[in-house]
Amino acid sequence: MPIDPLILSLFAPLFGAVAAFLFPRAAAVIGLLAVVSICAAVPALAREVLAAGAVSVALGGWAPPLGISLRADGLSVAMLSMTAAVGLLVSCGALDALRDARQRQYFWPLWLLLLTGMNGVYLSTDIFNLYVMIEVIALAAVGLTVLSGTREAVRAGLEYMYASILGALLFLMGVGFVYLQIGRLDFAGLIAAEPSGAMSAGLALMLVGLLLKSALFPLHFWLPDAHANATAPASALLSGLVVKAALYIFLRLITQMPMPDEVLITLIGALGAGAVIWGGVQALRAERLKLLVAWSTVVQIGLIFIAFARAGQGGLSESWKAAALLVLAHGVAKAGMFLAAGRIKDEVGHDIIRDLDRSPMRPTLAQFSFALAAISLIGLPPSLGFIGKWSLMEGAMAAGYWHWVAVTMIGTLMSVAYFSRVLAGFLRFDRVRAPVVEHQGWALADMAPLVLAVSAVSLGLLAAPILSFLELGYPFGATP
Amino acid sequence: MTDPLILFDLLLAGSIVALAVAVLSVRDLFTAIVVFIVFGLLSALAWARLAAPDVALAEAAIGTGVTGALLLKTLHHLRHFSDGQTQDAARDLTAVQPVPMGVTVANAAFCGLVALGLAVAFLGAPQAGPGFDALVSDAMPHSGVAHPVTAVLLNFRAYDTLMEVVVLLAAVIAVWQIERGLTEAPAPALGMVWAGFARLTLPAIVVIGTYLLWKGAEAPGGAFQGGAVLAAVGLLLLLSRLYVPQPSHRGLARWAFVLGTGVFAGVALLVTGGGRVAFQYPPEHAKTLILLIEGLVTISIAVTLAALFHGREPVALNAPESRHDT
Repeated sequence: MPIDPLILSLFAPLFGAVAAFLFPRAAAVIGLLAVVSICAAVPALAREVLAAGAVSVALGGWAPPLGISLRADGLSVAMLSMTAAVGLLVSCGALDALRDARQRQYFWPLWLLLLTGMNGVYLSTDIFNLYVMIEVIALAAVGLTVLSGTREAVRAGLEYMYASILGALLFLMGVGFVYLQIGRLDFAGLIAAEPSGAMSAGLALMLVGLLLKSALFPLHFWLPDAHANATAPASALLSGLVVKAALYIFLRLITQMPMPDEVLITLIGALGAGAVIWGGVQALRAERLKLLVAWSTVVQIGLIFIAFARAGQGGLSESWKAAALLVLAHGVAKAGMFLAAGRIKDEVGHDIIRDLDRSPMRPTLAQFSFALAAISLIGLPPSLGFIGKWSLMEGAMAAGYWHWVAVTMIGTLMSVAYFSRVLAGFLRFDRVRAPVVEHQGWALADMAPLVLAVSAVSLGLLAAPILSFLELGYPFGATP
Repeated sequence: MTDPLILFDLLLAGSIVALAVAVLSVRDLFTAIVVFIVFGLLSALAWARLAAPDVALAEAAIGTGVTGALLLKTLHHLRHFSDGQTQDAARDLTAVQPVPMGVTVANAAFCGLVALGLAVAFLGAPQAGPGFDALVSDAMPHSGVAHPVTAVLLNFRAYDTLMEVVVLLAAVIAVWQIERGLTEAPAPALGMVWAGFARLTLPAIVVIGTYLLWKGAEAPGGAFQGGAVLAAVGLLLLLSRLYVPQPSHRGLARWAFVLGTGVFAGVALLVTGGGRVAFQYPPEHAKTLILLIEGLVTISIAVTLAALFHGREPVALNAPESRHDT
């Protein structure tokens, strides 16, 4: 009996997590098997979506609104593939990067539960179900944050948990009020709902919860410490993948609900601009490499929200594509960058940016990967980040939003500046006292960031097929 | 409007608000927790008055009972460690920085906006929402159980419930991995009365928990409520030191944690085939399968909650792997 790839992409990580928790010694093997099976399921699902436009399953045979149905369209499958591919590479990196026996044992069940939650989010069509999924994600993500066991990580993890629970609570209250209004929880019901003040207030509560979870300025306070203090594979997952789940829900809700008016959209764009500027300043001031990378996540999230708000004269029905491209680009590049930063920290022994050029140890491959990922994050051609930023600016220019173009340009210049701080440290040798050593040989942990960074740059060449794939099955209500 | 209980309701609502204010304004943590527990009990009563007995049971068992126990245990730990440290070290542990005025104002503005949103959403809400009631009562004959809440949780929206169980699993895994190799705060000395109390109440709790689970098929009750009541057994055993977790019990505990998730997900997958999708129980076996899932989920919930109360993976304290502090 062939298993539906839709179901497989949910249950493979779930059973994997259970098995990895039960058999700690085999956790790595089980974890890799689970991730690989998802990587097999997602292309199968993509084929079905290519053929049909959108695929859905009503779980338990109960159709919405009573039951819950899973649905995959172009956007879902794009997010699933990004998650699966980044997840596989980070998993490979984790095999080598996690040294502590305890970390090795607990990384896998937590990561697989996280994967269950994220795949669940990308396939969900029900707002209560989304709430449950973001709770799964939140707990697993907090577990990964504190995996390194240092006092700073535990403190940052606690802060992250407070923010996360508050966000989920706001989301849940919003869900409650929406249910009170329309008596159903599925997306189709939401789309059909009559706009009203109370309805908007309920949706606004949900959106604020999501903004807190996706760390849009000024609700980003929890992110830098949490992402900077986790172990490298965990940071890569948190920064590359976890914030994307909340962004995805935001995108789904706001483009398809009877909600947004011009003021609100401008407000979101303004917050995004705030994130780009403030995050940029903090990244320029950051003393540690991982903290700089974490602040760059804040910047990129701001950029994604600017894209939501302002990429195109057609409004959200046009601009979401630029946002989705930036989401994909950031996921791949940032995961690669965090893994590379972790490698550099391991090899050099510290990650203080000022002293990077003093180190006689030069992990060249990791530095190269870092630079490639930086190219995509800055948005230089031909990277995917470039395509995302280009479609943002092209849309904004076409619609005559020149000040938004200016903000994006300022953000780009600032990102050149703060990444240069790091790259200059890689390339300067005049402050080294001892003979320079390149790092000894290849390590498995070098492979993952390299592949991620190379794909972040080269995926830009595939931008046209990615864009047309994203549009499959969109808008939501059109195909069953 | 002529409900004779209206006075009672008003009094109840007033006390809940007053208790909430009291929890937030009391300085002493112990008092705050006790007031919180009273608050929870009255909320449970309010749920009962709102004709939601399932929620009332869950609020009483989980929101009040288990949560209160967790809070008290945490407080015990905090006091133990801050007493054991010198003044300087204690300050280092809880380094409190003064909050800048700007942050306070920004927080207040944020909370004000959220409150405004809540107010608008509440005032604009219809008196009686359409809801699922009609749909649920139509589908009830095919659900395999007689109680609508159980039908929704274990059949119509079983996927959500599975993921709720997964949340609990994620919580216990996250808690176990934080094990820091710190020594445990000594258990409070328990007198004869306490041991006698445990001996008397344990059997009663087991019966109540099982009853709640069993009744769940046709009346309010079910896995979460039953599990929370059964978890009280674990709490009493742990407190009275009748059971002390050993490192060698970890394997068994792991199986108990995942039992509910594993069986629930397994059943959901195994019923597929022959035109049925995941979670679609064959009608003739629906009741059996739902009871099986509920029973095993109850065990997992009970063990997981008790383990969360214990709060750590039972590792041998001098094992080298348990030390990875800064």
